[in-house]
Amino acid sequence: MRDILKMLVVLTAICAVSGFLLALVHDVTREPIEYSRLKFVKEPAVKAVLKGYQNDPIKDRLSILVGKDKKGKPVNLIVFPAKKDGKTFAVAFESSAAGYHGDIGVMLGVDLAGKKLTGISIVSHTETPGLGARITETNFTDSFKDKPMDKELAVGDINALSGATLSTKGVVAAINNAQATLNKYRDKMVQ
Amino acid sequence: MSIAREFTKGLWEIIPPFRLVLGLCPTLAVTTSAENGMGMGLATTFVLVCSNLLVSLLRKIIPSKVRIAAYVVIIASFVVIVELMMQAYTFPLYQALGIFIPLIVVNCIILGRAEAFAGKNGPVASIADGLGVGLGFTISLAVLGAFREILGSGTLWGHGLFWEGFEPFTFMVRAPGAFVALGLFLAAINLISAKLDDRKRRAQS
Repeated sequence: MRDILKMLVVLTAICAVSGFLLALVHDVTREPIEYSRLKFVKEPAVKAVLKGYQNDPIKDRLSILVGKDKKGKPVNLIVFPAKKDGKTFAVAFESSAAGYHGDIGVMLGVDLAGKKLTGISIVSHTETPGLGARITETNFTDSFKDKPMDKELAVGDINALSGATLSTKGVVAAINNAQATLNKYRDKMVQ
Repeated sequence: MSIAREFTKGLWEIIPPFRLVLGLCPTLAVTTSAENGMGMGLATTFVLVCSNLLVSLLRKIIPSKVRIAAYVVIIASFVVIVELMMQAYTFPLYQALGIFIPLIVVNCIILGRAEAFAGKNGPVASIADGLGVGLGFTISLAVLGAFREILGSGTLWGHGLFWEGFEPFTFMVRAPGAFVALGLFLAAINLISAKLDDRKRRAQS
């Protein structure tokens, strides 16, 4: 009986201590982990769409509450501001819309004063290789540069891909969705 | 045995993948480059030293019937700490090693050393043992990784080694190449140790 009790107590104590320790480590590393995930996953896309900033857009990122998902969990939009002399002159954030096959995620940079795109980069898609997947090529994404963000973008305004109409429309729709987001949360983005 | 002896035995006598032939799962899987091998080795060394120390400190408290469960909890906690730290500070390495970091928990070397050494010896000797075996493991993985990287991708530590137009022997960085490379190393180590034993015997007679 004493043996069993000792086993129970020792094992419980070891588990409790290690649980406490792990909670502590988790707490300490939560911030750096979020930072390095964004740094290595998102930074290449942010760098592709924003130019001439002096800050670290990943470090200065803003989380804006934009609603709730089906389970009632809050959904945050992450905005990467580009600053010069301490003032935000452009922002980058992600937007998405349905393409030919699944959602297309687009990272886009917006020049706030000129109200135009500084560039876009496709961050996730499942389009057909060789056809729709050409949306990632630079001669397509470059045609979005300097397009106005205060009026709706049409397929005719950009270098549309032949044979991939739906994918092209998906990217354009993502940009138009982003315009709506920008209009709605603009004030929060520039704080 | 002295402390230094505990340390050095891990570097040759019982160098894990080549002499004990333990911990082969990460040895085969992550040694596609010297850097990956070294990272995996260092992560394992950290877990090994910490778990050896703790197991040795607690060896008189832990009842022998539940010792394996207690060891596994201790080891698993350190593995999770390593995993979180790697995610926070060395994310690219974490991505490269992937699933093999959590799998350090079931690495036979660590449980083996806890059971065979740390559970019976004092803390200082256990740390020396953990450091030695861990370092032996790290060196083995780094050397094996370098061997496969040089042949398989024509680079070492990510730097190009060969002339332009060199066609790397990609087979070596694939899974079958791991078995071939490990086999060659085992053969070489066995040959060397046979020679050494021979010389020792001759010196004695």
